[in-house]
Order: sequence, then C-alpha cells, then structure tokens
Amino acid sequence: MKLSNDASAVLETSMRQNKISAEVCRELEELVAMMPDDKKVIYQNVESNPVGDLFRYSVHIRIQHLLTFTTFLLLAFTGLPIYYNEAFWAVPFNSVLGGLEVTRVIHRTLALTFVVAMVYHGLTLLFGTMRKISAGKFDIRQTIIPLWKDARDFSADMAYFAGKRDNRPDMDKFMYKQKIHYFAAAFGNTVMVVSGSSFLFPEFWNSILPAAYASHWQEMMRLSHPHEALLALLVIAFWHWYNVHLAPGRFPMQWTYLTGKLTREHQIEEHFLEYLRNLVELPEERRYMRENLIEKGLAVSHPVQNSVFENYRKAVGANDETVTRPLPEET
Amino acid sequence: MNITRLITALFGVVLFLPALSNAFEDDESCLMCHKYPKMGRVTDEGIQKSYYVMPNVFSRTVHRNVPCRDCHSNIKELPHKPVKEGVTCDSECHSIENPSTGKPFSHAPIYNTYKESVHGREKIAEGLDADKPYCITCHTNPLYNEAEEAPPKEIVDRCVVCHEDEAFATKWYNHTSRRIREVKRSSREIVALCSSCHADEELIERHVTAAAREGRELGRKFPYAAVAYQKSFHGKVTKYGNTDAANCLDCHASAKNYYMSVHELRPSRDPKSPTNEANRVDTCRKCHKAADENYAAIDPHPTKYKEDNLFNYYAEIIYGIVGNIALIGLVGMAMFETFGRMRDGANWILRRGTSWHRARRKRRGK
Repeated sequence: MKLSNDASAVLETSMRQNKISAEVCRELEELVAMMPDDKKVIYQNVESNPVGDLFRYSVHIRIQHLLTFTTFLLLAFTGLPIYYNEAFWAVPFNSVLGGLEVTRVIHRTLALTFVVAMVYHGLTLLFGTMRKISAGKFDIRQTIIPLWKDARDFSADMAYFAGKRDNRPDMDKFMYKQKIHYFAAAFGNTVMVVSGSSFLFPEFWNSILPAAYASHWQEMMRLSHPHEALLALLVIAFWHWYNVHLAPGRFPMQWTYLTGKLTREHQIEEHFLEYLRNLVELPEERRYMRENLIEKGLAVSHPVQNSVFENYRKAVGANDETVTRPLPEET
Repeated sequence: MNITRLITALFGVVLFLPALSNAFEDDESCLMCHKYPKMGRVTDEGIQKSYYVMPNVFSRTVHRNVPCRDCHSNIKELPHKPVKEGVTCDSECHSIENPSTGKPFSHAPIYNTYKESVHGREKIAEGLDADKPYCITCHTNPLYNEAEEAPPKEIVDRCVVCHEDEAFATKWYNHTSRRIREVKRSSREIVALCSSCHADEELIERHVTAAAREGRELGRKFPYAAVAYQKSFHGKVTKYGNTDAANCLDCHASAKNYYMSVHELRPSRDPKSPTNEANRVDTCRKCHKAADENYAAIDPHPTKYKEDNLFNYYAEIIYGIVGNIALIGLVGMAMFETFGRMRDGANWILRRGTSWHRARRKRRGK
C-alpha cells in the first residue's frame, strides 16, 4: 500500500514515540507493503467483534458520557415541561412530578450533576494530556483539536460519498464529524450552563456586566436556554443517534460507549491513522492483519516501498537493508 | 289530628322564614318594596336593571350595619323619586362613628388616594375612563368569609364569660378577625384581577389608538404588560402557586403601606412610581437583595415584538435560521454518508464479523 503523506507522518511519529525496534519496523514495513491500495478491500474483509476490537475510550470518558447523556436527557425532559408549561403534555407531566416547583428543583439538581460531569471531563483532559506529554506520547493529530486537515478530510469524504473518489480519506482518532459533534456539544453545554446560571444567579451575572448590556444579556440568555436545548435535543435525536444506532454497520448500537472499544472495520474505515498506531503498538494486531491478508488472498504481489520505514531505521541508527524477508509465496 | 299538626307546622315554617331572612335591621323600610325579586326596570338602551335586595345575602356583607340611606343619601322620602346618581364610595356614614377620630366613618381617604392614581375615575365615567376600574370593580360586595359563619366555640366561650351576650361576642369576633386576618388577595388572584383589563386586547387597542391620536404618552409596556408577565419567570411560577415570586402589585405598588399603595398605582414615568427609573433598584431589592443598577435594567416584561424589543426580535429570527441550518445540514450529511457507504455494500447490521456482506458477495460475483 502506498501510504499517504498523512499516514506516513502519523506512522513516523508513532514509531518514534513507541521507540520500536528496527525489527518491528521491518515487520510493519512488510505488513503495510502487503496491504492493498484500496482501503475498502481491507475494511470489508476483516473480522470485527460487534462489542469492539480496538481500545478507544478510557473508563473516565465512558463515565462522563454516561453522566452527560443521562443528565442531558433528564434535563431536557424536565426543562421542556417548564418552558412549555401550558402544553397539554406538560401539565400532567408536571403534576406527576409534584407540580412545576418540583420539576424546577429536579431540573436544577440535574444541572449540578451536568456541571460536575463537565468539570470531571475537563480534569480528565488536563491530566490525560499532561500524562501523555510527560510519557512523550502526545500527538496533536490524535486529539479532538480541529486542524486544517479536517477541512480537507471533509471535502474528500464528501467527494467519496458522491462517487468522485475511490476511498475515504485517512482520518485520525477523531474524524471531522466527531470534532463537529464534540465542539457543538461543548458550545451547547457552555451556553446551557451560562444561561441557566444567569436565571439562577441573575444578580451575580448582571453585577459583572456593563449596564448597557445587562438587559440584553438576560434576554439573550432567556432566548438561548430553550433554543439551544431544543436544538441539542434534535441534533442528538436525529444525528447522533442515527450515527451510533442506525447508520449502516452500527445497528442496533455501537458498543463503544460501554466497552470503550471500536470494531476493527470501523477503525480502518474511519480512523485509518489510529489503526496504523494500533499496528505500531499491538503485535497481535499486526499478526492478525498479516494472517488475514494472506488467508483471504488479499496481499499485494508487487509491494510498494514506503520511505518512512527506511528513514526511521536510519534515524534510530539501525543497519539499513531493504526488506529482508521474502513475501509469502502464495501472493 | 296529624294533619292538623302538619298544617300548623307548615304555617309556622312559612310565617317564620321571612323573619329569619331579614336578619339585618330595616329601620328605613326599604325592603317594603325591594324585597320583591321582580323589582326592576328595562332602560331605554334595553338593559335590564334589578333593584331586588336579597336580605339573607345583604345581612352577611360588610355593610350589613350601614343603613341604606347612608350611601343612598339622595333618597329623602318614600316612595322615592327616580335615582339619577349612583352611590359613590367617598360618602360619610352618618350613623357610624370612626372610633379613632370621632368623625363619621368614611372611605374618603383611600378614595381620594385612588382618585389620584392612574386608575382614578368618576363613578359615572364615559369614554376611555369607563375602562378604568371603580371601587366595586375590585371590591365586590358581599365579601364575606365562610369562616365567619361560625366563630370558633372556644373563643366565643371565653368572650361570653365577661361580655355575656353571645351575639355581641360573635359580631365583635367577626368584625375584628376579618381585619386582622391576612386579607390580601393571593398572587394568582392579583394577576387574574389585573389581567382582566390589562390582557383585554380590545381595551388595549382603544387606549393605544387614543393615546397616539392625542399625542399622549403611554407606558411602553402597556400593550404587553399582562401577556409578557405571564411568560416571565415571575409569571410562570406564580401561575403554579409560588407565593415568593413578584406579582403585579409587588413591583407596581409602593412598599410603604401595601393597603394604601395598591390604590395608588402610577405609571412608571411618574417619579412616585416604584417602577420609575429612580426607584427601580429599591423595588427590585425588596426580594433580590443584591440587586444593583444593572439588575434593575432587566426587562421584567420581556417580549420579542419588533416594536418593543428589536434585539429579541432579530435574535429569535437568527436563532431559528441557524438552528434549522445546523439540523438540516447535519442530518443531510448523515444521509449523504449513508448513501455513499451503502453504495459500496455496507449493511445495517454487523453480522458474522462484518457489516460488508453485500460488498463481499459483489466481489465474489466478479
């Protein structure tokens, strides 16, 4: 397989960060050389466990997701009856809870949990990043931070869906769609917390704002809280749930939020750069991929040379030779 | 024998009933005519007027001890001449003395305060003034309290130890307890009362048009006050029984003397109004202790009408557009993605280790 520039760069970084030996580097070079150029052929022909094959999310991230989505849904279910308190469905709903006043108390309690989940997430990111930096394993491309590459990936992916391109672009651990979703949620959560707190602590918010904007601020918050909530709920219901529950290959659900693992075919299809890291880090994954390609007769007979491996070996001072082991006969 | 007894008893009941119902003293013999239910007339405008006084009802009102002619003072003889002027609430009650001043009792002090307020009007009012409330618009009579029907026995028992007369004790208890008990309307009742006029679209339209024609200044929030309040936080929680949130009078009536100031409502442009710019901070601080100038600038009657709040009007529109674009864009993207992936053979369910069965089959076919 001829690696893209992005893939070469990620592989180079990953090999360096994991300090792999020249031997492993050669093994990787052979494996990559065996892989067909058409990425579709790879991900359409691997074995995937529906509950996940490759590690993706730590237990902290999974707990935060559980906390956020349960509180988010309950916040929506208690917030909407407060906003639309006159609607035919809101009246009995509020009554069942013990009246609008009770719904408000529940809503605020959930809001506090929601804020706690956000703070927990912030701390996880902070300490997780610090740990990665100190271990020398930090790679900005692997993070959720939007990069120019995401815009290129977006347009390439759209071209692929439109049939103008043979393969999906090589995307990293977080593809453009996930970055949009993450920052939409981060922005939305911030809007909800700020506007909600401006209802709860109006004196505080107005004491720190210039007088000329005090009223506009409060009005903007009154407008933002229900609008943002409704938008978030609709985006979650029609987009997020579609992506993780209903899209092809994901039905009836992606188990990642519980197991923290992603299926192999999904990793290769949408997060190929992260899959290359998996190949660098996991000997058993290299072994699986090699055997799988050979077993299914997919290994290419005229392997392409990728200079990234040779360069790595030079950099680590290993005696450079080209591929020493011959490729298997049956290819 | 039994039949005779029954007839006697029936006669007794029939004869005794009027005596029961005429519980108040009719020294002026007004009931001689006004006890007849059909007493009344149809005016030239075709409106039916009833002059029937129900003795059993009147005997329980706050005015039960006031002789009719203390209020209907223009009646000099019986039968009286047609009445031209109605009763006004500022007349003196000659037969009741105000024990604190020794003067005849009168509602004149509060009546005069009311006359100076934005609601002040004459009893017989015409034009726009007729839309304003007169005393009886809010103070309906009878305003009796069911709890007064039977004063607590343990209290009356204690009174009669010295005061001997149980009727006196009951009457005194009713008079006093009514006045020391919390007699404010509830927040919900206040909002409903104010909204009965301030949410009346025809009434609002009449006043807005007239003010524009006469070049007269009208409160900026006059057209939306009640509707906007009901959508505000104060309005929503009040509607559901919260008694801590501000109702109309909490902000629009001065905090000095509630019972007086609710009769003295003034427009916010009046420097005496608690909603006047100079007094707003203090008014907010009645509940929001940390309120400052900025806080008092918050609109308690928020609307999104273009003529009232341009900012909200456009913010709402922009929010709608951005929200729709975001939703349609994202869902559109997901659909496009599905279309692209399904064309390459993606299946809905991951089965036997892959969700690309169709793709595999297709390639095998080749």
